[in-house]
Amino acid sequence: MITVHAKFHSHFKELASADEDSFLIEIPTVSEFAKCICDKYGARMRAMLIDPKTDELNERGTMFVNEKGMRVSAEDILEDGETITFLVGIAGG
Amino acid sequence: MESRLLRVDLTTGELKSEVIPHSIFERWIGGSGINNWIMWEHFLTHDINCDPRGPDNIFVFGVGPLAGTGAGSGIKGRITFKSPCYNMFGDSAGGGKFPYMLRFTAFEYIAITGKSPKPVYLRICNNEVSLEDASHLWGKDTLQTHTMLREELGTYPSKVHTLSISQAGENQVGIASVVSDALRIHARCGGGAVMGSKNLKAIAVQGNGGLPIAMPDEMLAWSDDFRQKIDSNEAVYGFKRRGTLGAVEMYQHIGSHFWRNNQGNMFRGGEITSDNWVNKYHKYSEVCSSDCFIACDAKYKIDGTESEAAKKYIGESFRRPEYLTTGSAAGALDVRDWAEVAHWGKITNDYGIDNQDLSCAISFLMELKQRKLISDQDVAELFGHEQSLEWGNMDDIEACLHSIVFQKDLFGKLFGDGPYLGAIRYSELKGQNFMKYATYGKGGASFTEEMRPFPTWMNNMAVASRGADHLKGIGLIEKFQRKDLSKIYFDGRTEAADLTVPTLKGASTALIENQVALLNSYGVCLFHWMLDPSGYTPQDYYGKAYAAATGIDRTPDELMLDGARICNLEKAFNSRIGMRREHDTVCERWMWEPTEEGMYPGSVAADMFNPVLDEYYEWRGWDKESGLQTRKSLEACGLDDVAEVLAQEGSLAK
Ligand code: SF4
Repeated sequence: MITVHAKFHSHFKELASADEDSFLIEIPTVSEFAKCICDKYGARMRAMLIDPKTDELNERGTMFVNEKGMRVSAEDILEDGETITFLVGIAGG
Repeated sequence: MESRLLRVDLTTGELKSEVIPHSIFERWIGGSGINNWIMWEHFLTHDINCDPRGPDNIFVFGVGPLAGTGAGSGIKGRITFKSPCYNMFGDSAGGGKFPYMLRFTAFEYIAITGKSPKPVYLRICNNEVSLEDASHLWGKDTLQTHTMLREELGTYPSKVHTLSISQAGENQVGIASVVSDALRIHARCGGGAVMGSKNLKAIAVQGNGGLPIAMPDEMLAWSDDFRQKIDSNEAVYGFKRRGTLGAVEMYQHIGSHFWRNNQGNMFRGGEITSDNWVNKYHKYSEVCSSDCFIACDAKYKIDGTESEAAKKYIGESFRRPEYLTTGSAAGALDVRDWAEVAHWGKITNDYGIDNQDLSCAISFLMELKQRKLISDQDVAELFGHEQSLEWGNMDDIEACLHSIVFQKDLFGKLFGDGPYLGAIRYSELKGQNFMKYATYGKGGASFTEEMRPFPTWMNNMAVASRGADHLKGIGLIEKFQRKDLSKIYFDGRTEAADLTVPTLKGASTALIENQVALLNSYGVCLFHWMLDPSGYTPQDYYGKAYAAATGIDRTPDELMLDGARICNLEKAFNSRIGMRREHDTVCERWMWEPTEEGMYPGSVAADMFNPVLDEYYEWRGWDKESGLQTRKSLEACGLDDVAEVLAQEGSLAK
């Protein structure tokens, strides 16, 4: 089991009603981490995080980055104590 | 598909209606594509090197064939002209209900030339057109102008919708904008100065005609499908709640703001670093343009309890600030109070000024003051009185705005064309080189985001046809590190999404420029596409809606070629006025000064600039040495006639 921290911003923050959270996960992958978040926060979080067509991470209008600012993919391996930040992917105006 | 163009010669007062035949849509799609062609043809018989503020310049308004069809994809009108502030190709998109209403009159395109002997406004009511005296409107801002025209012209056959300029446009300030319904701004490139130079205060439209749709059943089916797709995307709901303000926290996290003239890339202050403000002020969401399934616009009203600064603005109500309004105030100028940021959005809109150019000009000067490169006496010389020019000081910022709008002192006169020309003029005046503190690309003002870690963005800043620009090439594959998009566009390759290599960055610019040219020619908002670029592809998904609206059925490859044709015409315009590879560059700060904070410290444009630019030219088929188009590249997209013009003028690659 490892502990992975989540930081929520913008719409994610609203869906979670929290700025951050921590999860104990058995399989150290991003997809497992996303599944834990969806289980805790419900259908709308799932709709934001998971693409219903592919069952993969939803890339549309979202941005999930590790501590180096690199986007993570479902199959990426996480380390104990790592933080993933959940952001919306929008620009301009 | 046919449409009507209203030609207005303000010198003679002649008003002429012309048919835009189907063949023009076949070649130029509509919207910005047709605008570009109207301007190109104009400058085959008029001097392309004319003074943009002179009667020989042309001002074109156009709206694309998907606008107002019920497609739900938003509506953007487009103005096109030779830019008075950058002295090159100029255009700008804007929402509001003006473009939608124009489609319900007899016209969809307006081309205005000459200069009226006195202030006038153009009135279009269904198929009746007239030039009306505007002396009572002269000296009014855009909100006052819009309100007065609404009162004057009544509500039959419809409400009045307007396109107007403020005192800034009247004074021919280079960065003056044109405002739609006093709410939505065509900000970039100085269209307001072109209208002002022609003594054209406003265009007022009323219409209750219908829209011809070639295949109404297909259009309805497309629209239904689009609505379902939009509604099932939770991220769209998030965008509805926050609009582009959702970018505040993302940029704060990765370091992509433009702080204090881009000396840094994170906002400072408490509440300004988050978008919690949305929940505090958000009153309701609305659509900006009558035909949008998203509705990301919203209103705020300040009641004075929000903060100490808010007490100054009790009762003020306007649109919730967009990200770039916030980026220019909280970033470029280091304003730390949301009420002040919102106020900045309102005043720059009412005065019809591009807040990107304006904030870069003011922050340039503030940085000179911060570094003690100029003294209190120098500042007093610029404004006729002392000013602290402290970062974030709203009184000083408003004084700078007034100086530019009313052209009343030296600062306004020097910086009315934005930071690039302003910095050159001020350097000459003081006998010192201040250019390393000016932020710009290709002579155009920066948009207020940190771009040094993002090689595609840097390439966009250097090559965009209208100067540094975020809305032509849009580096979204790279900024959001979308490997999925990179794979789709580039045969399974992922490098376009990788910030650390130059590969596929120039290619991304070229490809997305072509796609965006299509969207701008359809007359739709870009946000729908940006929220799902692989789902709503301009050449495929939107292409079906275009076919339903116009009856012009193209393959995705043909549409991509149409997009390339539109981009090539903009490039050819700039080649004719002498722009070459050396103009496709960015400012010293971006090129050489490393970022010091954020997720990607130590980034400079120079690391990847030239290989990316070379790749961009390669993908375009242009000559890498001169930056000019080749005959082959132009013929490949059906521009043999354009190649001929360029060859005659020595602007075609050898
Ligand atoms: S998404 Fe927003 S900006 Fe675009 S048309 Fe809709 S309301 Fe207007």
